[in-house]
Amino acid sequence: MSIDAHPGLPEFDYIKPTTLKEASDFLIAHAGEARPLMGGTDIFVRMRSGGWNDKYLVDVKCLEGMNDISYDPHKGLSIGAAVNMNRVIASREVQDNYALLLQAASSVASYQLRTRATIVGNICNASPAGDTIGACILLGGVLHVHGNGGIRQEPIKTFFKGPGETLLRTGDIVTSIHFPVPEEGARGVYIKLGRNKASDLSIVGVTVFGYPDVNVPSGYRIRLALASVAPLPLVVDQVEAILTETSIDEDRLMLAAEAAMHACTPIDDVRASARYRKVMTRNLSFNALKVVWKDLKKL
Amino acid sequence: MVMEETNTKVPSPIGENKIRLDAREKVTGAALFADDIQFGSGLLHARVKRSPHPHARIISIDTSKAKALPGVKAVVTGEDYPGYIGLYLLDRHIFCRDKVRYVGDPVAGVAAKSEQIAEKALQLIEVEYEVLEPVLDPEAGVSPEAPLLHPNLEEYEVANFIFPEPGTNISNHFKIRKGDVESVWDECEALVERKYHIPHIQHVPIEPHVAIAKVDETGEVTLWGSSQSPFAQRNLIAKCLGISQSDMRVIAPYVGGGFGSKAGVSMEALAVVIASQVKGRPVKLLLTREEEFYTAFVRQGLVAYFKMGCDADGRLLAMENKFFWDAGAYTEYGVNITRASGYSSSGPYEVPNVKTDSYCVYTNHPVGGPMRGFGMPEMHAGLEQCIDELARDIDMDPVEFRRINCLKTGSVLVTGSKMHPIGLTQCLEKAADAIGWGSKAPPSAPNKKRGKGIALMWKAPAMPPNAGSSAWVELAEDGTLTVGVGGQDIGQGAFTVAAQMAAAALGVPYEWVRIATPVDTLYSPYEWQTVASRLTWSMGNAVVNAAKDARRQILDLVAEAWEEDPQNLDIVNGIVVSYKSEREMPLKDIAIYGLPKPDDQGWLGGPVRGRGNFMPSYITGLDPETGQGERAVVHYTTGAQAVELEVDLDTGRVEILRGVSAFDVGRAINPELVEAQMEGGFVQGMSSALFESMQLKDGVMQNPSFVDYRIATSTDVPLDLENIIVEVPQDDGPWGARGVGEHSMVPTIPAIANAIYDAVGIRMEGPPFTAEKIYLAMLDAGIVK
Repeated sequence: MSIDAHPGLPEFDYIKPTTLKEASDFLIAHAGEARPLMGGTDIFVRMRSGGWNDKYLVDVKCLEGMNDISYDPHKGLSIGAAVNMNRVIASREVQDNYALLLQAASSVASYQLRTRATIVGNICNASPAGDTIGACILLGGVLHVHGNGGIRQEPIKTFFKGPGETLLRTGDIVTSIHFPVPEEGARGVYIKLGRNKASDLSIVGVTVFGYPDVNVPSGYRIRLALASVAPLPLVVDQVEAILTETSIDEDRLMLAAEAAMHACTPIDDVRASARYRKVMTRNLSFNALKVVWKDLKKL
Repeated sequence: MVMEETNTKVPSPIGENKIRLDAREKVTGAALFADDIQFGSGLLHARVKRSPHPHARIISIDTSKAKALPGVKAVVTGEDYPGYIGLYLLDRHIFCRDKVRYVGDPVAGVAAKSEQIAEKALQLIEVEYEVLEPVLDPEAGVSPEAPLLHPNLEEYEVANFIFPEPGTNISNHFKIRKGDVESVWDECEALVERKYHIPHIQHVPIEPHVAIAKVDETGEVTLWGSSQSPFAQRNLIAKCLGISQSDMRVIAPYVGGGFGSKAGVSMEALAVVIASQVKGRPVKLLLTREEEFYTAFVRQGLVAYFKMGCDADGRLLAMENKFFWDAGAYTEYGVNITRASGYSSSGPYEVPNVKTDSYCVYTNHPVGGPMRGFGMPEMHAGLEQCIDELARDIDMDPVEFRRINCLKTGSVLVTGSKMHPIGLTQCLEKAADAIGWGSKAPPSAPNKKRGKGIALMWKAPAMPPNAGSSAWVELAEDGTLTVGVGGQDIGQGAFTVAAQMAAAALGVPYEWVRIATPVDTLYSPYEWQTVASRLTWSMGNAVVNAAKDARRQILDLVAEAWEEDPQNLDIVNGIVVSYKSEREMPLKDIAIYGLPKPDDQGWLGGPVRGRGNFMPSYITGLDPETGQGERAVVHYTTGAQAVELEVDLDTGRVEILRGVSAFDVGRAINPELVEAQMEGGFVQGMSSALFESMQLKDGVMQNPSFVDYRIATSTDVPLDLENIIVEVPQDDGPWGARGVGEHSMVPTIPAIANAIYDAVGIRMEGPPFTAEKIYLAMLDAGIVK
């Protein structure tokens, strides 16, 4: 660890392109020394600490469509990449149809930071601790990416390669994220364990999302994703399997929670030990599964 | 402001919740802090090259490349500054000369036209080190095999009440030998022996340290800074540089949080010596948050051993305590924490037999310094848990056990002297009553356990025996009052309280009083330091004396003019009145121009300026071998805290539901400010109990930012906080007042620890009681699966 603490940011050039193509071209022409800028909540911190040293920050916040948020009862929700989290939280459509996303976004940092932070930025940082990632995966989120070869789509579930690593290539700019209309009767919850109540990073984050499904023996399809306990945001497929096979009761939920505990591979760090993270994965998974299951049973 | 004359008597402002003098300025953002002061384009920016090693010998420093960088105006190393600096023990150079002793120790400083250039220059300074074996544990540090951090300890200048042991890493060894502990262990019905480890924490003021220094051609120094101690800084820096104190001027605007970290001298001397190389140019040094963590004062770590025993009736018979203070690389200030914890080592209890060894140990950790409570929160953390355990061991209620043993008026203290009038029993009973001691409400959910805990405390101002205060008051043409003080308002409300006292002592409405700010050693009266919760009492006495002096001048003058006895005169609402002749005269007709003699025969009086000072004269030394003596301290403030909390069995997380504080403040000059201190101290204590710890690994702090150094936020604070003021007057305090700034943070850790035990039956070696620690302890104890 370096003890050099810099009072300010290093020098960089601020680039503000007017089209996506211009932005992509610039990023490709300056590969390795340029980075797209959204809310900046991570970039500036890392640049100040000396971790990142880009010569150019390419501001893509104001490009076409980046600030739009829209909902269609048939097609679902579309959130522009530059829409800040407080706008997502304030959106009536999100409140009515994507309560899980709202809950996850509300747990991120503080109100002040959420006026800068974006959902897409949270995803592109690819931090295993990202609070909204689990919700985005389980809600079936798909990124729209503008790259060298035009627009393509990337499902979030398969988007991550490692801590801080994604399928994005040089010149790629994520323009928006899309969510399908949730299944009838869907319910979800995000339980975050931080060290104190406000503004902390998660030690463990558990996202659970489920809906009635007459095609499976249990009558419910319930999925679970974990934050901060593996190198990648982790969807524990065994949970879904355990909770579809046969009817659900608290023992079954505990079995699923234990599967989540066994699936995760946390590390010791300054925030918590691996041992604590493991047992918390079990306990909070159980609690989250119970909340969703009880909600589903009320239907 | 025009003062309206009124004949309705304004009540004395003492005991009134007067609005803070600084409230409007601070709320509107108009208040000026050190970093706000504008110095124009001539300002240079300083940055400091720091040691990456906890312990190393400096082989060479090459500054040539840095000096050659355009925009760099000066590069400074310790080479030209051989002097030592420190408050009680002069063990520190301004810049390191031969060795570095902690990660962050300053080795070179740069002044440049911009911060960016100064930063670049730092990278061009080449330092060659020979890495030395570090001392990273205070118990290991006292071993004869440990590497010596300060081989020339015996040459250091030291205060006569500090006892270093040359040839070791012990820079102070304070002893108590009262009675004979060995003879009574066998008589004890119950014995508790425990070890506690209290981690380093930090003050984390919202405003980091900042200093701007200017040295003019004749060598006169001006220093602007965020400071609790402008006069101590004047004295210590001048002494170190070999200049006259009168050639050193310190100007101290508002402080954005101090808590002890801005007492004494920490980084201010760096700015001064860098500025001395660029005469005439102001040089600013502003610490980053990370530098604040690495290099500003920290609260020392502590390894504490307690052994205590009581008889079957619950009477404490003996205590044997060993404290190993992890005091860091330099202990110039910390040596007195060792002493304070020693002479208070019985806690607020009367114990016939006490043996204490309190060791101040040099380690290659950050520099320990004063922090709110000055050793008392650390010491009480363990002591008050042992008291709880003893009570439970003999099946006695912990409140009853404390009631039996706690100090009362006339109790014999651990140092042999007698306790002054004290309201500790009242504090205990009121706190227990308010928390509903003895009843247990059901938990709010099946996965929670509920508990209550209580703890007592005592603390004396820790300072030299002759720490002094002074003040002046001056009347303006309209009869309003300006009060000069050298103490600082660091948020505690010292200026407001000084104004209330001046108004009451002179006889004018509170609204007529101004405090002469900023504190400026060139114009302000002397004050030792704004520390030790001593201002209301000590500076308060000086202010009262100054106001009385002015009052005497006024009354003597009017008495002469009216040919009356001053005994029959009074000042009420800013009007001099005679109870005999019933004559009246407003102060504005007297304050500056005096009074005419009859028949145009000349004049009496002149501009009124009162002066006052205060210095305790009755403190005696303690025997170095026994710690016994006539009177070790000026007074003790005592109190109690109680909490009710819940532990979440799924996560281990603690939620404080209610907190009660009850302190004997002698007399609350401004009750709301007293309550604010109690509440703020509770929250800071709670934060240190649940969240805070500097995670030091091989001497390097692993969490030097607010991302990973967690402090309580407003959402963590219980909504239900009750503050109870107990008033047993102090004989030499103004209106009986004594201080309460630090005390409210002292019993919080053990009160919470005792409540956690009450809830789930576990005790831990030390704070912070994080959710993780509690859960894993419950897991290991089989309380959860």
